[in-house]
Amino acid sequence: MSLTGVAGPEARIEGLGPAGRRARGFLERVLGRSDGLVGIAILSVFTLLAIAPDLLAGPLQTIVTATGKPLEPPSAVHLLGTDEAGRDMLNLTIHGARISMTIGLMATLITIFIGALIGVLSGFVGGWLDNVLMRISDFFLVLPTIVLALILAPIMLDIIGPEAEFLGIRATLIVIVVVIGLTSWATTARVIRSQVLSLKERMFVDRARVIGSSSFRIMRRHILPNVVNLIVAQSVLTFATAVFTETTLAFIGLGDPTAPSWGELLNSAQSSGAPGLGAWWYIAPPAVSVVLVVLSFTLVGNALDDVLNPKSAGRR
Amino acid sequence: MRSFQRRRGAGLLAMLAFTGSVILVGVAGPVAAADPVILTVGTTQDLDASNPFNTELVVGYEAFALTYSLLVDFDKDAHPAPGFADSWERSADRVTFKIGSDRKWSDGQPATSEDVCYSWGLALAAIKDESYIGSGYLDPGVKDAGVTKIECPDPNTFIAYTTDPSDRVFQVYVPILPKHIWGKDDYKKIAEETFDAPLVGTGPYTLAEWKTGQFARFVRNPNWWGAGKGFEDEVVLRFFADNTDTMVQALKAGELDYAHGVNSDQFKQLQADTATYTTVAGAANGWTQLAFNTYGTGTGKTIKNGGASTKALQDAAFRDALGYATDHQALVDRVLGGFGDPGDTVVPPVLTDFHVTPDNPRTFNIDLAKQKLDAAGYKLDANNKRLDKEGKPINLRLYYPNTDDNYKKVAQFVAEWYGQLGIGVTHQSFDSDTLTALLLPPEGDGTAKYDIELWGWSGSPDPNGLLYVFLCNQIGTSSDSNYCNKQYDDLYAKESKEGGAERKATLAQMQNLIYNEAPYDVLYYDANLDAYRNDRFAGWQNMPANGTPFFTYGTLNYTLLTDATAVPTPGPTVLATAGPSGPAATQGPVTGGTSGGGGNTTLWIVLVVAVIVIVGGWWLYRRRTAPAAEEE
Amino acid sequence: MSGRYLGRKLVQAMVTVFAIILLNFVLFRLMPGSPDRATKNPHLTAAVIEGNRARWGLDKPLFPDQLVNYVEETLTGDLGYSIKYRGQPVTEVVLEAMGPTLLLIGLGELIAIIVGLALGARSGWVRGGKVDRIGNGVSLIFYSMPYFVIGMPLIIIFAAGLHWFPTSGMTSPGGSKDLVASLFDVGRHLVLPLAAVSLGLIGAYSILMRASIIETRAEDYVMTARAKGLADGRILRAHAFPNALLPMVTLIAINLGYVVAGAITAEIVFTWPGLGTLTVQALAARDYPLLQAIFLIIAVSVVLANLAADIIYSYLDPRVRS
Repeated sequence: MSLTGVAGPEARIEGLGPAGRRARGFLERVLGRSDGLVGIAILSVFTLLAIAPDLLAGPLQTIVTATGKPLEPPSAVHLLGTDEAGRDMLNLTIHGARISMTIGLMATLITIFIGALIGVLSGFVGGWLDNVLMRISDFFLVLPTIVLALILAPIMLDIIGPEAEFLGIRATLIVIVVVIGLTSWATTARVIRSQVLSLKERMFVDRARVIGSSSFRIMRRHILPNVVNLIVAQSVLTFATAVFTETTLAFIGLGDPTAPSWGELLNSAQSSGAPGLGAWWYIAPPAVSVVLVVLSFTLVGNALDDVLNPKSAGRR
Repeated sequence: MRSFQRRRGAGLLAMLAFTGSVILVGVAGPVAAADPVILTVGTTQDLDASNPFNTELVVGYEAFALTYSLLVDFDKDAHPAPGFADSWERSADRVTFKIGSDRKWSDGQPATSEDVCYSWGLALAAIKDESYIGSGYLDPGVKDAGVTKIECPDPNTFIAYTTDPSDRVFQVYVPILPKHIWGKDDYKKIAEETFDAPLVGTGPYTLAEWKTGQFARFVRNPNWWGAGKGFEDEVVLRFFADNTDTMVQALKAGELDYAHGVNSDQFKQLQADTATYTTVAGAANGWTQLAFNTYGTGTGKTIKNGGASTKALQDAAFRDALGYATDHQALVDRVLGGFGDPGDTVVPPVLTDFHVTPDNPRTFNIDLAKQKLDAAGYKLDANNKRLDKEGKPINLRLYYPNTDDNYKKVAQFVAEWYGQLGIGVTHQSFDSDTLTALLLPPEGDGTAKYDIELWGWSGSPDPNGLLYVFLCNQIGTSSDSNYCNKQYDDLYAKESKEGGAERKATLAQMQNLIYNEAPYDVLYYDANLDAYRNDRFAGWQNMPANGTPFFTYGTLNYTLLTDATAVPTPGPTVLATAGPSGPAATQGPVTGGTSGGGGNTTLWIVLVVAVIVIVGGWWLYRRRTAPAAEEE
Repeated sequence: MSGRYLGRKLVQAMVTVFAIILLNFVLFRLMPGSPDRATKNPHLTAAVIEGNRARWGLDKPLFPDQLVNYVEETLTGDLGYSIKYRGQPVTEVVLEAMGPTLLLIGLGELIAIIVGLALGARSGWVRGGKVDRIGNGVSLIFYSMPYFVIGMPLIIIFAAGLHWFPTSGMTSPGGSKDLVASLFDVGRHLVLPLAAVSLGLIGAYSILMRASIIETRAEDYVMTARAKGLADGRILRAHAFPNALLPMVTLIAINLGYVVAGAITAEIVFTWPGLGTLTVQALAARDYPLLQAIFLIIAVSVVLANLAADIIYSYLDPRVRS
């Protein structure tokens, strides 16, 4: 299922009105909504897990340092049981939070960076550049992320080689991040562009122009601050998509076996026969984590969207 | 190139351990009397080709061995038995095979020595051209047997001339193809044929239907002349591509009769229910090894922009020291779940006539490994990194195929152990084709850019099937260690002409030589974990005694199965009046099937009921409150 | 409808398809070992290798000859030869896998559209009510679940646990079956994967429909109808629902392509012999020609779905045409 398809870029483009000035009280209003509150609460928990997994669960267990026997059901020693290599599931799930959410975060950053850059450029400069950029984004909008990632990921992996590492992160993870980023910026670009277009029409831009500000200055001083909120809302939704995509790619077998993200864990659960062995504790923790994180990001994203969007917000 | 294919065939045979066979029980409801009895066998491999020369998978061997006879078949101990030929006579320079008269192909055409001359002739023609047929797995057997010439003096006689009096001529795994169908093809053309079902064969069951990715169906050959006649009318091989989970669930649900290649956890679960399942941990004729890239050893050659990352790998003392740092028993326990045996020499113990344990065995001892490295001149630097003799920190690239999850686990152990020695290890999996290409040295148009390869081999009933890998002339083809040692080559040439105790002694010498020089660290001898249901078929036999019933040499067990539900009054029983009709002495298939899940099933039933109640309750509630809500 | 509008959309779609083919061409060039993989592979027969050479025109310059050649071959349906499937034409391999995928996705869409739209309309109409809170909550949860996460418990419960349905595959092999028996057989295999796919989609469609209905509810004509005292249920059925459906048409059509892509994981869990299972196998063997063909087919089907959406939309909403 595609979050991109469902989130329906168009649905959000229209109706995104002037948002910039509403920054104040924005967080309170999100927190004031029950969905926003639940979402942020869940996210805080997982963020905590992701920040300090070692403190909470000890260092990541490998087959070498595994503390349990294969596929032990939950017990006092192993609260969530063990996997087929005897590794503690709680340990793995918590470390999975770090890996999945780091990938999600990095992919989101790339997505938003490309998307915002192209969106702002396109909207602000307009003309032929706008035309070209929007045709390109049309193209990426049409291509299903997962399928494009499926073909891009192995190619990139094979090209940069297995030993490559950047900042201590294995190539496999980088590839996933880049692939998600490359394939999902188009939605953001579209949304931002339309916001910039509407801002451009605003008075203050005209005024600034009259005073003689340079284009760059207008962009920096007047446009960017006004799209920041939008970028934040968009990032949250992108994050959900990124975690979702990473899980799917890892499940299909494009993950890094030494960095057990939730998708990777589900992949090993499937390939080691956990469903048939009735080892629900091997499947449930990563699966529930993915669902919770994606769900809470969606909740927060929707809440933000509603708060930023006067047309639907507050209507009852 | 050919040996690489072969090599992989070997690896694949090991993977074969990973496939499962299953018998299909429940095709919905009671089976009508007229329905054929179907034996369904599950495997985790996906049949790649029905052309015997093009398959690289064990399941492909099973498929063609069902359809086509071998000239000499294997008995239950993997010794030569009548196949296409009824009998044979060995003399110094030839073997004369006798083929029964009135033999017929499944389409009714006469089966004669001409068919043998055609099939073996293909292989001989390829050998003469220094080429190979298709994937090149089958034809080298003819060469290895030392066959130089073949003759068909009359329809019932086939003569093979050999260079030496070895028994390898009886183990040639070349299927006898019907000349009246393929006769116009030469050895190049035959590899291009797709062998579309239905096929005409002389095996017990012939391929009738192949649904790519799903199953292959074989029907009884009415003209099968072998001794046994299986209870099943049809054999279905079902493919569960790399999915042991679904396969085992199908076995439990009674959709399969036999599962080939379950994992150790599944095996243990099935093992606990002896009433429903029989589990077999068969010793595989093969192993999993670390192969060190020793390119240059014995030849002094180097590779531009390629080869191993350090010269240390060419040093036998270095490799020997590493041998003390791998705990083979731990791998068997932790990776294989206790199934399999710790590895030492390059002839698996399953070949009891030839295997020897090493004279100077290495035991797991990290400290000793460190000492040996120090002594050999590989010192630690200030950062605790081991340096090679050029003063460069040693970081080894360990590559393995993505075909088996166990490799991934082994790699982590190796990285940990070598890490304790101060040697870095980066490990990565590849698809088989890419990995093969990576391993090839210039002799095979590659650059051999790797340090350690983690993969497996499995062999034929004769140890030569594995020993040839270390020959100098295999560099660029099947050698994955690029090892070359004149002394070894000489010994190989010698033992190939020897027999009996003499050969055994030479083989022992060779095994020790490889063990001491350590181009390989043989980690463990794999086990084939298979399981089958007891409720429909009986007559299972392990072949050989420490092997598995199916996916072994030949297809004998398919012809020996009997009706498990038959009341023990031997005699011509009518076909299955299946269903749990018989005296419930054994087990009801359904309860048996679920018992694997045990308490979990109950748990799930409770869950389902709970969900239904909640959803139903909500539904009713909704119905009741909806109008009210709408008023709002 | 205005021919110009249609014409523009058609041109756009064609340009996109061309860009996809171009991307495929570039990707093949980027592939490691390209083009040796397709032409030096000892597993492929001479004829296939010759075919590959012809497809890539390797002895000719990269541009324009090879590119033109490639586009030509692709447009005529020649997508090269599979590496994993021993040189079978890729087109054949993919076509064989398309049927099961279309069956699964098609039925899944159908069920999801009916149930999802109904549930979404209900939820949105009585926003904040019990139906809404539960329905929307459940929808959100399913919407957050990858298909394989929905599928795994289904297998554990209904196949491995209760034996109600087969665990995997699309047909039980063996015997000659009459048409009814075969249909029944496929049906039994279809239930669980179908449930996984449609549950995931129901979540998505219900959320979208809910949003759409909420928008519609605030429209003037609905307000007017309410003021006139029309029965609530009637307003929903006669006025709000049809209007809210309008944007859904586009979204569903666009979504179709994504569904094919996403359903890959459902197929894997159930070993459903469709494009998804094929993709994973192609991936494991790094069968690039096959991967490319799958990519091409899914991408083009998305483009077509988009085009269809535009056309349908322009019929339904006359404003677009002018």
